[in-house]
Amino acid sequence: MSAALQDLLPLIWTGAITGCLYAIGALGLVMIFKATRVVNFAHGNMAGLAAFVVYAFTAHSGGIGWLAAVAVALAIVVALALVTYGVLARVSERSDLRGTIGTLGIGLILQGATQVVFGADIVNLDLPVPRWGTSVAGLRITSYDVAVLVVTALVVATLFLVIERTRLGIAFRAVSTNPFASRVCGLNLFAVQGVAWGTAAGLGVIAALLIVPTTFLSSTTVATFMLQSFAAAVLGGFSSLPGSILGGLVVGIAMNLFSYFVSPELNSTFLLVLILTALNLFPGGILPQRGGGSRA
Amino acid sequence: MAEAATLAAERISLAFGGHRVLSDVSLDFRAGQVTGLIGPNGAGKTSLFNCLTGLYRPQEGTIALGDMRLEGLAPARRAREGLARSFQHVALCPDLSVIENVMFGRARLGRSGWASAFLPLPRGRAEAADARATAERILARLGLAAFADDMPASLPPGTQRMVEIARAIVADPRVLLLDEPAAGLNAAETRHLTEALRALAGPDLVMVVVEHDMDLIMEVCDRIHVLNFGRLIASGTPAEIRADPEVVRVYLGDPDD
Amino acid sequence: MPDGMSVAEARPGARARSLGALPRDGLLLVLLAIVPSMLGGFWIYGIGVCMANAVAVLSVSFLLRYGGEVSIGQSFFLALGAYCVAMMEREVGVSVVVSLPVAAVVGVVLGLAFAWPSRALSGIYLAVATMALALAVPELILLLGPVAGGYEGLYVSRAPLVGVSVDLQRYYLPLVALAAVVLLLAHFRRSRQGLALLTARDHPRAAEAFGFSRGYARLAAFAISAGIAAIGGALLAFAASTVSPNSYTLWTAIYLLVGSVVSLGSLGLFGALVGGAFITLVPQVLASWGDWVPILYGLALLVVVVLGDRPAEALTKLRKRLAGGRGG
Repeated sequence: MSAALQDLLPLIWTGAITGCLYAIGALGLVMIFKATRVVNFAHGNMAGLAAFVVYAFTAHSGGIGWLAAVAVALAIVVALALVTYGVLARVSERSDLRGTIGTLGIGLILQGATQVVFGADIVNLDLPVPRWGTSVAGLRITSYDVAVLVVTALVVATLFLVIERTRLGIAFRAVSTNPFASRVCGLNLFAVQGVAWGTAAGLGVIAALLIVPTTFLSSTTVATFMLQSFAAAVLGGFSSLPGSILGGLVVGIAMNLFSYFVSPELNSTFLLVLILTALNLFPGGILPQRGGGSRA
Repeated sequence: MAEAATLAAERISLAFGGHRVLSDVSLDFRAGQVTGLIGPNGAGKTSLFNCLTGLYRPQEGTIALGDMRLEGLAPARRAREGLARSFQHVALCPDLSVIENVMFGRARLGRSGWASAFLPLPRGRAEAADARATAERILARLGLAAFADDMPASLPPGTQRMVEIARAIVADPRVLLLDEPAAGLNAAETRHLTEALRALAGPDLVMVVVEHDMDLIMEVCDRIHVLNFGRLIASGTPAEIRADPEVVRVYLGDPDD
Repeated sequence: MPDGMSVAEARPGARARSLGALPRDGLLLVLLAIVPSMLGGFWIYGIGVCMANAVAVLSVSFLLRYGGEVSIGQSFFLALGAYCVAMMEREVGVSVVVSLPVAAVVGVVLGLAFAWPSRALSGIYLAVATMALALAVPELILLLGPVAGGYEGLYVSRAPLVGVSVDLQRYYLPLVALAAVVLLLAHFRRSRQGLALLTARDHPRAAEAFGFSRGYARLAAFAISAGIAAIGGALLAFAASTVSPNSYTLWTAIYLLVGSVVSLGSLGLFGALVGGAFITLVPQVLASWGDWVPILYGLALLVVVVLGDRPAEALTKLRKRLAGGRGG
């Protein structure tokens, strides 16, 4: 095995692991966009708030246990997502522009609220999994990697089962193809869109809890991380769920290679170039699908 | 100025994902005539209209204005060749007054650059004054002079439609394509529109009207093309079309059914 | 998709309104012109920065009004203009009156380059791309190396006129430039390009049918907006006398959007000043409650988008409902 390959393989592996998390974030963004034509710029702020809630309930002695804390955080964030949807549903029907500005407003409020309640501290928040690691063919695999892969597989499998096999999934597909027609068909548009927002917010929380152990938690960590999810969604065409998973993996691996071989100080610039290149070369996403494009 | 030329579509075929909308349609629209394009719902007349304006690209066939081939040109480029159109759903800018909407119809003819857009330079001012004068003249010709400074939203639908037609003719087009100009108009408004369309016809102008209102079509048009199931089934004068058994069957239903 | 309506604007009587605004704007200009003789240095500095920010806010409002698009990447073009001034002073030794036009041209060119990839796509792609643009600004500045002064940034000290108080110049240049930008934009509204962009925003197909493609409209609106933002950045560098990477973050860009939305997307002198003052003064007033600033700004955005483009109407409705509630 050549030296370059020996470098390359672990980089691709860790990139793919992070890419899974970008993909989970992107899935949420795309679900909201498909269901309501809103780009949720508050996605990262919501998930960041949830991570702080989990931290607050578990960090100090007398905490309520990790799973219970996650349940509380999920409940809070899903409620917030439903409120956001409730406030913006009517507004964004009139123009996407207002929807976008509205989610930016929500994002600002959540950002400020996080700072007010939890301060500007930088804290650590780990996953409750035993530390463990092994080497497979020169590749170091840790318990964290396994946790991410298992969670991603579960999330993706559940999501696609629900969308492909259940009544709710059919309703979601109908709404995302043509909201007017689905209303005529007697579907409860508001319920379907609400479920999409709530699910998306839950996905954001999962991504946040999995990404924070690799760095630290501050009031902006998760929002910054979510930019990668935006890039993943754009790469996937912004209205394709499989596309956003592929986009997440591409972004994760490409970013890892770039920061190792070129410069870790130009990550955001690389992401910008990646987005602009993707828009130029694949205007419909890297996995173009019929009728899914959102070109005006 | 604008020289007379025929707008000809030859062997046009159009399909969407295997669903055939137009099959081998050949027809022409002559200068000096008002040509109607009719057919029952789903006959393909709107699709053909969209092929003429450039919104759809037919898989097969050619569209030509005189010697100029159009089928590969984008809508914005076709405007330069002298095509102008109105929209079935009024597409006036709500932030512009009536006269500004009409002046926009001439905007592409302007030769003043970006400097004139921001600074009151003599050339740009002369051009703007000229555009305004032309727009005023067109509005007066269509009986709309009184509405010049109103906002479109404050006008009844019939008047909005007339403003759209004013915008379409202000740049002196060679081809005028009207997409269901009478849709949503009341009887009096339709009456007014019919007279206006008759008055617009000129020796050098190709005028195409897609319309459901048979009375209007029969009164305004010199020639009529009838489509059904994506095929051309008849062409002729209003009298000939009225007498055509196939057209009658399509419109009135087969008596054997 | 005719969804491009700007956040807020009074629709009827555009012409009558612009004429009616003239005496008020004149009065406002006179008031601003005599401020330095009435108020102290703190206010002269503060209002100078407000006016520079007002130009930056206009760049966002322009894109909203003429492009029907949201940008949260204007901090890039702001930084471009600001560093143009600071670096040209350091390297070439010229003052802001020379570097400002250069900044505007560079802003337009880079605006075109940036908008090109999404020229034919829906505006949401542009919005996401602008977010990435804003996040890249600080690291791009640091990439320039010592020429751009690194983390500390650069000081802008050269004044255009000799023998006149520099502090006064830091006030009057933004004032003159703001008035000029407002006048240029008022003229643009009546130009053929202005008519084309407004029509393309509401009915892209109608604009295409009359010779203006969607790509043309997108590129033109974004390039002009970028040019105005670069001018705003140049003025800001001069008025505030320093530039540094942490003044041009994603937050800067979002706050500019807040300023634009709070001014109801106005392209007039008064509206721009309200927007500029809002984003300049609120953080100062709330200095000791800094964490509340984003909350306040977020609420401001929500209030405007929820009330819609006719805030006055919405308020009347609300008042009626309250009155009705009391009566019942």
